[in-house]
Amino acid sequence: MPSRVISPAGSARHLASIAIVFLDVLPPLVWLGYVLALALPLAASVAIERVDRQLPFLARFGLLAALLVASLLFVPGVVTSMPTVPTGSIIVAVTLGGPIAAIVGRFAAGRLENRRTGLAVGGGSFLAVLGAAFLGSSVGLAALPATILTSVSLVPAAAYVLVVAIDRPGRRIGLLLPAVVFGGALLGAVVVDAMNFAGPNSWIDWGFLTGVHNSSSAAAAGFYPVIGGSIILMVIVAVLAFPLGVGTAVYLEEYAPDNRFTRIIDVNISNLAGVPSVVYGLLGLGLFITYLGESPGTALVGGATLGLLILPIVIISAREAIRSVPDSMRQASYGMGATRWQTVKNVVLPEAFPGILTGTILAIGRAIGETAPLVVVGLPSVIYSLPTDLSSSVGAMPMQIYAWASLYAGPGFYNSAVPAGVVVLLVVLLAMNSVAIALRNRYQREN
Amino acid sequence: MSNEEPTTEARTSAPDRSSATTSVDAGEETSDRAAEPDRTIVEARNIDVWYDEDQALRDVSMEVPEKKVTAMIGPSGCGKSTFLRCINRMNDLVDAARVEGELLLGSKNVYDADVDPIALRRRVGIVFQKPNPFPKSIYDNVAYGLEIQDVEGGHDAIVERSLERAALWEEVEDRLEESGLELSGGQQQRLCIARAIATDPEVLLMDEPASALDPIATNQIEDLIEDLAEEYTVIIVTHNMQQAARISDKTAVFLTGGELVEFDDTRQVFESPQSQRVEDYITGKFG
Repeated sequence: MPSRVISPAGSARHLASIAIVFLDVLPPLVWLGYVLALALPLAASVAIERVDRQLPFLARFGLLAALLVASLLFVPGVVTSMPTVPTGSIIVAVTLGGPIAAIVGRFAAGRLENRRTGLAVGGGSFLAVLGAAFLGSSVGLAALPATILTSVSLVPAAAYVLVVAIDRPGRRIGLLLPAVVFGGALLGAVVVDAMNFAGPNSWIDWGFLTGVHNSSSAAAAGFYPVIGGSIILMVIVAVLAFPLGVGTAVYLEEYAPDNRFTRIIDVNISNLAGVPSVVYGLLGLGLFITYLGESPGTALVGGATLGLLILPIVIISAREAIRSVPDSMRQASYGMGATRWQTVKNVVLPEAFPGILTGTILAIGRAIGETAPLVVVGLPSVIYSLPTDLSSSVGAMPMQIYAWASLYAGPGFYNSAVPAGVVVLLVVLLAMNSVAIALRNRYQREN
Repeated sequence: MSNEEPTTEARTSAPDRSSATTSVDAGEETSDRAAEPDRTIVEARNIDVWYDEDQALRDVSMEVPEKKVTAMIGPSGCGKSTFLRCINRMNDLVDAARVEGELLLGSKNVYDADVDPIALRRRVGIVFQKPNPFPKSIYDNVAYGLEIQDVEGGHDAIVERSLERAALWEEVEDRLEESGLELSGGQQQRLCIARAIATDPEVLLMDEPASALDPIATNQIEDLIEDLAEEYTVIIVTHNMQQAARISDKTAVFLTGGELVEFDDTRQVFESPQSQRVEDYITGKFG
């Protein structure tokens, strides 16, 4: 199954690929056999229910069980040995498209509270699936995948869009986003076809994500030790910077008197947030390696250096979040006879937590992409395994990308490994930022 | 409504803090609460408050009777809220504020060095102008004071009783787990009152508790205050002179500059004020 066929299908494409894999294992004819074998006893049970309600339960149960076993034993064999069989796409269109059309029709009828529209939607869906079965081959798709795609992904999506557009006119604007995504993907595919580009040949595959660096072949190069290394570094960064940063913010906002000393600290923290990252690398080198005698390139040194780097950002965002807690809340708490710490713990921090969390995750997102400080504190650019403890060497995604782009510079690494690494890095970054946004929204709703 | 007792001078200098500082003429009682003699619970002696260089209160002395409603009225910026916040030392939270003079709760000066403001605030509850429930459940809001004071055992009974006393129980008994912020403004304010009385304070301070509410909610709060005065000493700051006249037993009039100009029985203050300035203020000539 060429993946390019699936990609434009948008929302339900995972379902479609599962369905397609399923049919790769199970030929359509066998599938038909089993569907019929199950449909027969089902139809029989409905028939019994309609015709004779007096039949004792045990008799009904025995009859249906016998029918089920018999039909499972015989029907598939009979179906597969039939002299003339429908084509695979027709089979799928009827057995898969039919039930889906029925479900979609019921959904439409329920939402719009109109039986006739529901019937029309269901009928249209079924016709669309049948059309795909016949016409699929003429638009460049194999008939079978076209049928499956239409029935599993296109029809439900289109029916949903239609129903929502009719049912909630005010929400039609919301359909624009999936339409743009879907249309854009389709347009991209058409343009690629029309301009005769080579199809996308992804370097991000299972081997890339689980393999290790290979200096002779870009194709064999993997990213695993540095993905793990970056995650370990970020955990260390979070463990070091979060408590220290939030603690500092709480002290400065809730405890510290407003005097010259705290104002100097204020200005300092703001300035530190703008210091170039390579300077933090030098600080880490001087502080942890020269002064404290840690060995260079370890997970602890790398994490602590990055922790220093984002500490001012964490402090500033946490202060901002704490400052946004209304003063009336504090007054209420103090008025009840709460101590400062009780007020901070019970009132201020819970209120400020979403903001603090968002700021911290965004700051960690910045740390994950930093290269310069890691170069300075001596992280290895090539590493073949994950660190086993805090004092063993660790790799990081940007370091590996940097190594591929410099030490191993050549067409192979330039055109494949480097972009693949960058994409993985960006995906991790975007995923973290999405988590931050999701957390913030969740906590805000709870309040 | 108020006690018909001999006029107590606002600037009383009498240091006598025995249980019955103010004499009562029982024969002329009209109030249902007036049978017992007035006992002074809060006494201010020559209180001055500065915010940096600005003097907010000038030489204020007054005696607040126990289990009565004492209202403080006056134009904006006259220092009545400042005085209220002196009583439970909320002014400590303002870096620039400085308090001089003595403020006695019972017989102890709350500004003595050995008084812990935290412990003091547990004895003197406060309700603010704008309803400010915590973004927690209704139950947790009321139980907050018990939590922070590490009151042992279940809080259910106290929460229920406090909400009942704040005339809110019937409206919220089925939804104690909902956020306090989902209540209406008037309900939120009664929730704040329930929160303040859950820890059984000796004095309840109220800083314009009804000024952010509609007339119906205001009415409920006023009824509630009158009920609360049977068990608590209520000191209320208000902008609304009718409100002071309706619910208070004693009224203190502060005028611009932070002076306590008149302090007497409410009826006395409103019907025959001693000072021309107070009369002008009450009759609406200024302020």
